[in-house]
Amino acid sequence: MFLAIREIRHSKLHSGLIVAIIALVGYLIFMLLGLMLGLAKENTAAIEQWHTQTVVLSKGANLSLSQSLIKQADLPTLKKGDSLVGQSPVVISATGKHAHKQSAQLIGLKQSQPLAKTVVITSGHRSRNANQLVLSTNLQAKGYRLSDKVRFAGSTKTYTVVGFASGAMLNMTPVIYGDLSAWQGLKGNQFAASAIFSTRKFSLTTASLKAYPVNRFVAKLPGYAAQNKTFAMMIAFLMVIAMVIIAVFLTILTMQKLPAYAVLRAQGITAATLSRAAVAQAFLLMGIGSLLSLGVTFLTTLALPTTMPFLFSWPLALAISAGLIVLGMVSALVPVRLIRRLQPLDAMS
Amino acid sequence: MEAIELHRVGKVYGKGVSKVTALHDVSFSAPAGQLSLVVGPSGSGKSTFLTIAGGLQTPTSGQVLIDGHDPATMTAKQRDHLRLTTLGFVLQSYNLHPSLTVADQFTLVDRVKKEGNLSKQELATLLAELGIADLIDKYPGQLSGGQRQRVAIARALYPNPTIVLADEPTAALDRPRVAVVGQLMQDLAKKYGKAVVVVTHDQRLTPFADRIARIEDGRLTMEK
Repeated sequence: MFLAIREIRHSKLHSGLIVAIIALVGYLIFMLLGLMLGLAKENTAAIEQWHTQTVVLSKGANLSLSQSLIKQADLPTLKKGDSLVGQSPVVISATGKHAHKQSAQLIGLKQSQPLAKTVVITSGHRSRNANQLVLSTNLQAKGYRLSDKVRFAGSTKTYTVVGFASGAMLNMTPVIYGDLSAWQGLKGNQFAASAIFSTRKFSLTTASLKAYPVNRFVAKLPGYAAQNKTFAMMIAFLMVIAMVIIAVFLTILTMQKLPAYAVLRAQGITAATLSRAAVAQAFLLMGIGSLLSLGVTFLTTLALPTTMPFLFSWPLALAISAGLIVLGMVSALVPVRLIRRLQPLDAMS
Repeated sequence: MEAIELHRVGKVYGKGVSKVTALHDVSFSAPAGQLSLVVGPSGSGKSTFLTIAGGLQTPTSGQVLIDGHDPATMTAKQRDHLRLTTLGFVLQSYNLHPSLTVADQFTLVDRVKKEGNLSKQELATLLAELGIADLIDKYPGQLSGGQRQRVAIARALYPNPTIVLADEPTAALDRPRVAVVGQLMQDLAKKYGKAVVVVTHDQRLTPFADRIARIEDGRLTMEK
């Protein structure tokens, strides 16, 4: 560590450049991570809030909530923890002029069932009849207010906004909680619901229905898996790029110092001692770069608008920082190889 | 026991038409307490002699004993340890680590060899004798060639080796500094009982030597 610290301190410009590049790459990684988690949360926030374990959908829906329709005749006996959910994409508009049309997901619930009680109300109250709606706080940020009269596109029925709910996002679209009868008003009374969400784990297969674990259901949300994989790939590539950068810089710096290392080898300083210095240098440079990028990312999160789909996870960010440091130490194996090949006799040349 | 002994040492580089014999049947010994000078023109085999005597490479034939140890029978790690504890090299390419100040060059030795190094007082005296005491916080890049060479000498002597091997230690020095280094080498032998072997073509060092060997075309003859 002594040699590593001295080398970093002496080569301030070189070391500063390496740290700056690592910090920038790290910053990019953490921003992508934040977006990945933020977007993922917008896909699943509502479902996570419902504490769902199992989702029952109509068999032909291909695991898609929006394609699923359960007929009244096919409805199984509901048990404790089961809730009927009607889901339909809607376009909402306020009768006043202050709020624009917004796309949203109408989630129709029976107020007596457990799922309705998990909705976190931040202002106002839950729906008490079929004419009342609770809107996502995301829509509140876009201008909707309590007591607003709203209607869905293609319908003349008017509803009253009686509350706002936090974390109400599904498929990256704000959720509108209403009574199941409101949903039935859009889809028809022959349908009981789009799905049954249950806090129980169970399997069910009938001629028209099938139960799925919630993880499988989430993974099949449109674009969810592809989006996460894309972000994960970008993060992985950036980590590899950071590793290559540190390998190239350390190799160049080591090559410049080989004559001095050869003299040290002749004097009996082992290759292991010099190799440890190279690995320690990679550890320090990656560590400082990662810390800087974490700090800058944190400051950025404070400045980001709340509507931006961004979620900063300290445990994941720290895990990625640790990964970057480990990769940096692995990349130090290139200069270590140069040091290992150095012979004491090279001091004479 | 001699500090360094070479028994009928030969060294051949290459094979076939590119075969070069650098040392022919060289026998040499360097006793403790004496300054031995090995002189000869460029290309005579002086450097090969020094690297074999210092265990940096093994001979093609013959035997080398350093402080009673045969480096040819030792592992690389054992040879590293032998050089660290027993040998002090003052090399012509005195490459000092560019990221270390003069003080740090000695601290690095302290890090790998915890005991037996010169005391702070002894180091201060050595640096004063070499005229580099006020350069302690300088980096090698801030020193002249002569200053760097004197730092390299101090660094080689800092681990307090029993044997000092020097390759052209006065190459970059003016006459007064040559006298200082010559006297220092002599003192190391006389006062501290070290075996000092200096390979050089600098005739200005001969007055300080106890023994002088001449090497030409890889053959060594004793002159004094």
